[in-house]
Amino acid sequence: MTNEKLIQVVDLKKHYNRGAIRALDGVSVDIDRGDVMVVIGPSGSGKSTFLRSLNLMEEPTGGAIYFEGQDITQKKVVMPDGKKVRLDIDAYRRKMGMVFQHFNLFPHMTILDNMTIAPVQVAGIPRAQAEEKAMALLSRVGLADRAGAYPLQLSGGQKQRVAIVRALAMEPQVMLFDEPTSALDPEMVGEVLDVMKELARDGMTMVVVTHEMGFAREVGNRVLFMDAGKLVEQGTPEDIFTRPQNPRLQDFLSKVL
Amino acid sequence: MFRAEAFAKTFEYAELFVQGLICTVSLSALTVVFGFILALALAVMRLSDIHVFRFLSRERQRSLTARGGALYALARFNPLRFLSTVYVEVFRATPMLVQLFIIYHVVLAGVGIPTFKLFGFIRFERFVPCVVALALNSAAYLCEIIRAGIQSIDGGQTEAARSLGMSPWKTMRFVVLPQAIKNILPAIGNEFVTIIKESSICYTVGVQDIMYAVTTVKSAIYTIAEPLIVATCVYFCLTFPTSKIIAHFERKMSAGDRRSGADTARVRKSKNLALKG
Ligand SMILES: Nc1ncnc2c1ncn2[C@@H]1O[C@H](COP(=O)(O)OP(=O)(O)OP(=O)(O)O)[C@@H](O)[C@H]1O
Ligand SMILES: [Mg+2]
Repeated sequence: MTNEKLIQVVDLKKHYNRGAIRALDGVSVDIDRGDVMVVIGPSGSGKSTFLRSLNLMEEPTGGAIYFEGQDITQKKVVMPDGKKVRLDIDAYRRKMGMVFQHFNLFPHMTILDNMTIAPVQVAGIPRAQAEEKAMALLSRVGLADRAGAYPLQLSGGQKQRVAIVRALAMEPQVMLFDEPTSALDPEMVGEVLDVMKELARDGMTMVVVTHEMGFAREVGNRVLFMDAGKLVEQGTPEDIFTRPQNPRLQDFLSKVL
Repeated sequence: MFRAEAFAKTFEYAELFVQGLICTVSLSALTVVFGFILALALAVMRLSDIHVFRFLSRERQRSLTARGGALYALARFNPLRFLSTVYVEVFRATPMLVQLFIIYHVVLAGVGIPTFKLFGFIRFERFVPCVVALALNSAAYLCEIIRAGIQSIDGGQTEAARSLGMSPWKTMRFVVLPQAIKNILPAIGNEFVTIIKESSICYTVGVQDIMYAVTTVKSAIYTIAEPLIVATCVYFCLTFPTSKIIAHFERKMSAGDRRSGADTARVRKSKNLALKG
């Protein structure tokens, strides 16, 4: 594990209604390569907003996000020769996989097409090669035999596993998860968490918003606690769960553990 | 009121009605095709996110959030949406017959449309203005159908596509439109039925559709009641089965929706469980 900074978040703000609602109110944090960062906090504390800002699904109203040194909240980039060009946000999004609570598979496409559409249409990889890779990824999550099925024919846990490998097919540098198991029946949570654990073991950089405190403890190397749009406390799982400092964190943990 | 011999005489002109039928069907089919393409462009324009004066807002965000003030209103001005909205409102608020006359007698009057006979009887130079007028008119209605179809697609679909690095255009083309169009196919079918009926005004500029057959037969046998009855039957035999077929597909598709509906219900239930637990 190298300790190289992948993403640097500096004083990130997201305000609604001219500052009446502060979903994010000045969050600063560094995400290093190989980090498995778990974000916890009460409902409405800004966890999703934070995660979705990282790949600009939400546009911040203030602050900066440096991805590999480039501030991606800027609309223009200054090239080495001094010229200003439009920042290609799609190119950065390709480097950040995202997994949603409600899977968001494309229902009109087979599982295989779900997996290959972005590699073929966006990355320009030949179809045969993209399909081969997709099948390899599907085998990894035990779903190779469902390649020809449609999302509607899959269980929730299977859908989420497909959603994870669909994002992996673009070979992202970081994976962002927003409550990936919250929409699942309890008996399916395990199979999805297992895939995420394996990913973490393989060294993937991950940012995970979750209510699964067991996962945070076992897999995370850093835990962030957010409340009212602010990063209130951060530390190792050990620090956060056994030696919480902030009274709000103590209160939160007493409710969820 | 109706006389058997008048019907017999009308049937001597059966060929005119067959020609009228062919003419009406080709008129309506072409109208739906061209109307749909135009409507697609109008709908995309209407949902576009282009703000020429956005610099006035001094917002660094790409998408402008709602705010008061005249300057801000100007910054949010979207010329494409404005054009599309004006188009739709004007075409829906004026009579079809007026639109047809303006296209036929004014707009396309000086344009040298080649004069030949389509299928050996349809006068092309009269047929084209009718297709244009009908397509322009139905595009206004189809635009609203397509717009509703696009907006009915879950925002999560767009988010998933964008998070994979797809451009807005590719997201539209590969993810949103295929689903939207599947959802609105029944509505497009209904529009086709409407056009079949509305196209009957085209006889006024001399296109040989079903109504034109009526006027021709009328002046030959000096009676209009019986030819009109025959025309009514032809229209009915055309539109009734069409709408039944559409209704059949509509039922089939909503059956599929029910299944996905159950799926979301289950998702919601387990979300509640997760929150409680
Ligand atoms: N479009 C919006 N307009 C106004 N307020 C919003 C909007 N989106 C989010 N918010 C507010 O921002 C705050 C943070 O929301 P966010 O979804 O990030 O919370 P969360 O921590 O993910 O909560 P949960 O655990 O319920 O998912 C909330 O108070 C929410 O009401
Ligand atoms: Mg959330």
